[in-house]
Amino acid sequence: MRPRDFNLLCVGVGGQGVIRTLQILIWAAFLDNHTVRTGETHGMAQRGGSVEGYLRFGTDVHSPLMPRGYAHAMVAFEPIEAIRRVEFAGPKTLILVSDHIIPPPSVYEKKENTYPPLSIIRSGLEKVSKNVFFIKAHKMAEKAGNARSANVIMLGILSGMGSKVLPIKRKSLLKSILRYVPKKTHKVNNIAFQSGIEKGISIRGDFK
Amino acid sequence: MKSNVKSESESDNLKDIPYFSQDNTGKKGILFGNEAIARGLLEAGVQMGAGYPGTPSSDILPTLAEMAKYTESDIQLEWSVNEKVGFEVAYAGSMSNVRSVAVMKHVGLNVAADSFMTAAYMGARGGFVVISADDPSQYSSQNEQDNRYYGLHALVPVFEPSSPQEAKDMIKYAFQFSEEYKTIVLFRTTTRLNHGRGNISLGEIEKLDRRPEFDWDRTHWVCVPSNTRPQRKRLLERLEKIESHADKFPFNSLRLSNIKIKGKKYGFVASGIAYATLMDVLSHFELMADDFTDVSVLKIGMANPLPKKLMKKLLLNVDYLLVVEELEPIYEQAFKMLAFELGISKKIEIHGKEKIPQIGELSAEVLLEIIGEIIGKEFKKVKIPQNIVKIPTRFPQLCPGCSHRHTFYALNNVAKKIKKKFINCTDIGCYTLGQYKPLEVGDTGICMGSSIGLANGFSKLMSDEYPVIALIGDSTFFHTGVPGLINAVYNQNDLLVIVLDNSSTAMTGGQDNPGTGKSLTGKEVTRVLVENVAKGCGVPPENIWVQDSNNLPELEEKLEEAIKAQGVRVLVSRHVCSLIEMRQFRAKGITPALIKVDPEKCIGCQICIKKFGCPAIIFDFETQKARIDQIQCRSCKVCIDVCPQKAFYIDSNN
Repeated sequence: MRPRDFNLLCVGVGGQGVIRTLQILIWAAFLDNHTVRTGETHGMAQRGGSVEGYLRFGTDVHSPLMPRGYAHAMVAFEPIEAIRRVEFAGPKTLILVSDHIIPPPSVYEKKENTYPPLSIIRSGLEKVSKNVFFIKAHKMAEKAGNARSANVIMLGILSGMGSKVLPIKRKSLLKSILRYVPKKTHKVNNIAFQSGIEKGISIRGDFK
Repeated sequence: MKSNVKSESESDNLKDIPYFSQDNTGKKGILFGNEAIARGLLEAGVQMGAGYPGTPSSDILPTLAEMAKYTESDIQLEWSVNEKVGFEVAYAGSMSNVRSVAVMKHVGLNVAADSFMTAAYMGARGGFVVISADDPSQYSSQNEQDNRYYGLHALVPVFEPSSPQEAKDMIKYAFQFSEEYKTIVLFRTTTRLNHGRGNISLGEIEKLDRRPEFDWDRTHWVCVPSNTRPQRKRLLERLEKIESHADKFPFNSLRLSNIKIKGKKYGFVASGIAYATLMDVLSHFELMADDFTDVSVLKIGMANPLPKKLMKKLLLNVDYLLVVEELEPIYEQAFKMLAFELGISKKIEIHGKEKIPQIGELSAEVLLEIIGEIIGKEFKKVKIPQNIVKIPTRFPQLCPGCSHRHTFYALNNVAKKIKKKFINCTDIGCYTLGQYKPLEVGDTGICMGSSIGLANGFSKLMSDEYPVIALIGDSTFFHTGVPGLINAVYNQNDLLVIVLDNSSTAMTGGQDNPGTGKSLTGKEVTRVLVENVAKGCGVPPENIWVQDSNNLPELEEKLEEAIKAQGVRVLVSRHVCSLIEMRQFRAKGITPALIKVDPEKCIGCQICIKKFGCPAIIFDFETQKARIDQIQCRSCKVCIDVCPQKAFYIDSNN
């Protein structure tokens, strides 16, 4: 079924490939003949700040801006960045978090600026949505052959969780991934995508 | 449903031949807003383009330059030294009857305004479009000025697109329009348009290949009052003519509805991204779809002059009008004035800024709430528990290995050593981030070039008490710093200009500038050196220092000398931007040296973290030792000189 609008949010830190991930998703959605719009952070993105990208697609989409509380999915490449943009999530939003921590420099400024434990971050996110999943994306990517393919692991999980979670055809997603990653990494990314899919299938039953 | 989408095949290599550089009329794809604009410029047959980088406009000219390589068109493109020069370079193209474009961010038009305001009188010969990329919410800017006002101010038409596709089509049309009415067109975009992707269908590339012709009519092109007085009259007539055709403007549209909702007929007005958001909201409440509309909507594609006839039709059709515009109340005021002229201001309710925020970009849920309330339909706002987890802030910061950090760190050390506080007037660039912790270097900053101007002023009042320092980047120095320096020499002001020369226009993505020795089109060109400029401006040679920013001991020594000296001084602290240096390493196959921390020597004093603050240095709270995040480290080796315990070292075993 083609959605009227599907809202997806990618968040992370400059340099993590947030925008590239969004680019892969938008091209895949395009291959599925959707109307698509994105809004992206650029300019300061390589300066280690928070980066976010908004993707909207469907049959009835005009603006790149989605209403807060109405994201269908949020993909976070860094745990506290999920908290920073949690206002876009609602009770059913899929919140997929890579557990790879990048402490911001402000943690060194004063004692109060501590990086919260993952368990606290998880329970915070669970206050907002019942669909919070933490993923060892880096470990999985290393196993697949390259830590840099953590993004593809996350995409594989989205796809593995089924078309309710991400209404984009798996074939289109893979086609798009291979379009945007360097040729010499195609093999690694194929493996990463498959291992993500397997993981996604294994947790899809927990999606409420 | 299968549409006949001709998408790009997988085998096309994006890097080699971007599909949007070639004709490919009718081909569908996805383009980034700025790419769509560049494609529109190519389709319009533009032959000349100039500008200065500025987020969110920076990628337009480089994209066009890249595309030009794959077409047979000869397009003259350059990074100009600043927006004013860029405007003039491009305008000379229009004067010579070729289609030309000047590209800048919103505040760039302030710099170009002197030329813009009078060129508006003279109008266009070859189609002339000025792109102004505005930045509501100040994602990457010092203010959020609404440049639609510049159109009202200069009496030139303002176009505003609402999607990448429309941006492409509209800018192509803008050149035709400019030539038809002999007017400059101001093409106003906002960040969400420039920095967002969307569906696109490519149009035909017009190959004009006009031969540039100089126009010898000096009564038209020289700005003496005897010429410009009659031109002002013609300017007003031109605008009047455009206004009389504005209801036929292809990007304006009016949908009328006679349906009453709870006894009232509602109308909405919007332009740009706000229009796109309005469409989503109306669709959310099922008030509008392709085949029906329960409310009246005026879409504005030309913000100046406004389509009075369409506005009148709308006003006479509705009981309640909501003007949905981001930032300033331009349409709102126009509607209120028109309602007054029509004598219906008592009959119709017109709402604008008392409902729609005047600050920042208009967000979807805010508009959902406002419109829901107006039409009596509830928008179920999702309530988010506030502050569910306290998290540390993550501001943008100077990169690992950034040469600016080294200069600021050295400056702080000198201040401590000579027991003086400096007035540090900073400027616009990556180095503005030096004002954040832990460096906190930078006390004032207004706009491009303001560091030297302000330092001139402060030095007149208090250089006895505080050394007055201007901190300015290489590109900013060339942009608007030089006049301030000449001013200091001429007026004998006592100040030190530190040029933070990372040989790049870094904050906007590392574009070239006069100091890099490379042009927009990748040509090797004469490198303009800051120290030579300083010398030419009359700074005495003994008051000019040039120093590698990554040699900390020498940098501190030279800084101290420069600060203690008298008169106008210039210190060039030079080291290429670390992002670019990494790319250079990669291209040359150089493996950067591996830097490590010896845990035996590290005493956990955290000077490297709390005073220096390189993001590649991580403090392990458990072991109370510093370590290096090798993924982030760019091997500048400066931490070796920062650490008093000499705990950092080059691991030569690797």
